[in-house]
Amino acid sequence: MSEQDEDLELQALQRQLDDAFETTRPRRGFEDELWLRMQSSRPARSRIRDAWAGFWQGIRAVPAVPAAAVAVAMVVVIGVVLVGYSGILRPGGMSSTTGGSALNAAPNNRYAGDFGRLPSPVFPGQKSAGANGSNPTAPLAASDYAGPAQLTWTGHLDVAFTIAPVFRYQEPSTNTADQFASSLGAPLHGRPQGFLGMYETSDYTLKVRGTVASPPSSPAYFIFSNLSMAPIQAAGAGPADLASVFLAEHSLVPQWDYTTVVDSSGDPIKVFYQRELALPGGTSAYLVNTNGDRYGLEVDLSNNRPVLVSGMLPVNMDSATYQIISSDQAVRAALGSSQPVPVAGTAAPAVVLTQAELVYVLVPAGDHSFYEPAFMFSGTVKINGSTLTKRVLVPAVDPSQRTP
Amino acid sequence: MADRQPFEDLYREYLGRIYAYVRAQVGTSADAEDITAQVFMNAYQAYPRFEARNTTPAAWLFRIARNATLDHFRAYGRRERLRRTIEHQPEAVEDPAGQAEERIQYQALLAHVAQLPERQRDAISLRHSGLSFEEVGKLMRCSEDAAKMLYHRAVKALRESVRMEGGA
Repeated sequence: MSEQDEDLELQALQRQLDDAFETTRPRRGFEDELWLRMQSSRPARSRIRDAWAGFWQGIRAVPAVPAAAVAVAMVVVIGVVLVGYSGILRPGGMSSTTGGSALNAAPNNRYAGDFGRLPSPVFPGQKSAGANGSNPTAPLAASDYAGPAQLTWTGHLDVAFTIAPVFRYQEPSTNTADQFASSLGAPLHGRPQGFLGMYETSDYTLKVRGTVASPPSSPAYFIFSNLSMAPIQAAGAGPADLASVFLAEHSLVPQWDYTTVVDSSGDPIKVFYQRELALPGGTSAYLVNTNGDRYGLEVDLSNNRPVLVSGMLPVNMDSATYQIISSDQAVRAALGSSQPVPVAGTAAPAVVLTQAELVYVLVPAGDHSFYEPAFMFSGTVKINGSTLTKRVLVPAVDPSQRTP
Repeated sequence: MADRQPFEDLYREYLGRIYAYVRAQVGTSADAEDITAQVFMNAYQAYPRFEARNTTPAAWLFRIARNATLDHFRAYGRRERLRRTIEHQPEAVEDPAGQAEERIQYQALLAHVAQLPERQRDAISLRHSGLSFEEVGKLMRCSEDAAKMLYHRAVKALRESVRMEGGA
């Protein structure tokens, strides 16, 4: 081969290399997925800094605006930033409520403002609008008591703020479910009734479900492992570590704040990631179901092998602040929620409520559902020699801002 | 700082190129995704400290990508890569879901690139990701001329590799 031929051959190879590098691109959806992950990992302070940068850029772009108008605009923007970001202006900041707060919402939703009158949460024992019977509830734990009770309150409830964020999300579609499954590398297998999709890999079956109206249940995914799912190898690791390893390997580590709780009392061992939502003043509140049980994500392990993973499907949320009732109003509402005794002449057990906390509950509402704040009171009662826990949930959003 | 372009612009502009660069270094699209994600996470954290007058955004990002790729090989060792090389394990077996969606042509050619010695592979990948020889040299800690020589040797080695495959 002549030198000229060799040169031509090398040039052709270089052109192929150009084409190869120009046409090598990540799969569809990766760009947006990664951008969302990056957004969710941002420290709160940098998000605020960006808000300011955007504000100053806006001012620079309109140099003819008089100083007085700029001053007025600053006051407005400061107000918007303080209100819109009230959940993160606390010492230390909110580390991550990915896909779960206004901070992660699409830019055009960042200042969504008022959602209008909110649907009211309906709790066990209450009558739902338009229904005659009590509401279905999530399965109760053996240590919970849901029956009628004579309630008294001896605890102390002091809520330092008068507003709290309400979070809203759009009902996930089959497309949302497919994208989630795709991010796990799980191809679609079918769409069984009641699920947005079922997906299968060599190790597990994934099912994705939307919001369940009754009893209220958040959009969720479920990973059912099959026999080829190998145990997690991590010498000396405890259940929480093993669960974290599995979640990390599958990019399922929650992008929201959580508390990890391990229940090793049986087989499988259950590792719970209880979701928390940010509140003004640097505090946070757990997400609970209508029984008051915290939830978020659960990894069930049997002999170090994940047998079931069930977690909240990531959805984008925006938020708006709402006025909440006072501590006194909350206590009155809790005590007023005593249920009637089903059999005349029998006495309801006396329950002394001793503790109360602000929590968040799901309020399904069709295309858009809400996570609304609620007060949860709790106390214990002895029934047939067993000590059971009685919980009472009271909507926290001021009634004037809720539909009856 | 005031004239710095938003990070999102940088991200949208360079994601594909960085991914292609990483993809040419590692064996699977899954690894390429992980490393690319790490690159942009790191870049995102470091962007407030990025000084545009010292380097171009491309060179800065590719430096992060190069370090992340080297970290990847250090962390996992070259054993797995060698195994793939020796076995000529096809991508489809390793990563069927990724391959189904990944937009990639000339896959065989990139597989040959991935089998080159590290510096040759790096020179080809950086150059064909759009960097100048000066930038390639800076990243590889050599002069512009040395980068050119290294690149040309790498292309010839690649041609030999492709020829051998064709003749096999």
